[in-house]
Amino acid sequence: MKTLFKDVHEAWLAMQFTGFMSQTKNRQDLYEFANILFKHLTWLENDFIKNKIAYDYSINQVPIRVTHLHVMIHNIIQRLETIESGLSSCHDQDVTFRIKSDIEYIKASLAKMPDENVEHAFDTKREYPNVSLSDEARDALTLFLFEESYKEYELIMVYNYSKAHSNDAFLNRIFQILIDESFFHLRSFGQMMAEMGILGVPRSIMEEIYKFDDLKQFLKDGIQEEIGAKEECKRLAQAVSDSSEHFAAFFTFINNQENYHIALMEEALAYVNQKGS
Amino acid sequence: MNADAQLIEHMMNPKNYGEMKENDAVGMGKNPQNGEKVAIYLKVEPSQDPLIKDISFQAIGCTTTVVAGSIITSEAKGVTFSRAEELISITLGMLENIPPEDAACSEMVALALKAALDTYTKRQTSPDFPMISYKIQTDCTPKEEKES
Repeated sequence: MKTLFKDVHEAWLAMQFTGFMSQTKNRQDLYEFANILFKHLTWLENDFIKNKIAYDYSINQVPIRVTHLHVMIHNIIQRLETIESGLSSCHDQDVTFRIKSDIEYIKASLAKMPDENVEHAFDTKREYPNVSLSDEARDALTLFLFEESYKEYELIMVYNYSKAHSNDAFLNRIFQILIDESFFHLRSFGQMMAEMGILGVPRSIMEEIYKFDDLKQFLKDGIQEEIGAKEECKRLAQAVSDSSEHFAAFFTFINNQENYHIALMEEALAYVNQKGS
Repeated sequence: MNADAQLIEHMMNPKNYGEMKENDAVGMGKNPQNGEKVAIYLKVEPSQDPLIKDISFQAIGCTTTVVAGSIITSEAKGVTFSRAEELISITLGMLENIPPEDAACSEMVALALKAALDTYTKRQTSPDFPMISYKIQTDCTPKEEKES
């Protein structure tokens, strides 16, 4: 079951990041399939929790550097077949049936997916279409994308873990919004990384990041991190503003979105404080 | 950090990243200033000058730390402990010449490797010796922030 969980986690990332490298309508299908695999991950996680089985989010690195989409599609189909063969380890027969049914459909759809050349996603040219970046702006943007793509993946998993272990409807509503927000950011940054030829799957998350004991402290730290991210977005918007109005507007938009995340975390913190008092 | 082609490769595909469950020693490098940390795992071939058969690392830290981990563990893989000690000295000796935020990351990785080597060595005489953890000395505040 732990191997199955890890396989689903890795397949989800492979699917999601294959979506980033696509520049055709394949992308939307791959995003939808990635959503389904993430949902499978949460089902299996719930099974662990119900059966009081310890688990973690550790994964192996997911190699994605290919020249053509069909190489990744073949790799994903193999991953899905491995998942199918491991499904017997799941305790919940209904979940097993639903995952199997989804996978059969996804495999059949992937097999028909038109091929694409995706070399651009890994060429490390760090050029953005129709944008002229200074060396300084290019370096700043590169570092930002690596930092933040990892951070958004980390946040998805942290909030997902918190949500999985909480029966509190108020907090879970906030956790779910934050997960959705991080998905949006991850997709924005992943697409930009592919455009710039620097696409890579984030590294595995250390257990102590999501298995924390003190929710209050986690939320306080999270608010500080979001404030830091806002500053970083502001700096970046300034650094790229001469090169690209589009980028400057995008980072100002992301910066303003962080205000919403801060407000949500403050709301959660006030609620936890009130409950504790 | 200037993002040249080689560094981009380490960002896209960090080498030796991940937990090594069956290890002979683990060491930790920590930055007390911001809570960042690096763990280095070793698989060792015993001898008078033991050999690092395999090495991996995990980090709670920034991209620069991951790049430093990727480079330093790649250099340390397959070398003897004495060569690894030289590698640590060279890395620590270079810190003055690089920006403080990058220096702190490299120091953290170098100290994690040192901690792993020392943990292994201690365990040869006391098998239950706990994992060693070293704290960095470098202040990782960027120069421009200190001046402002």
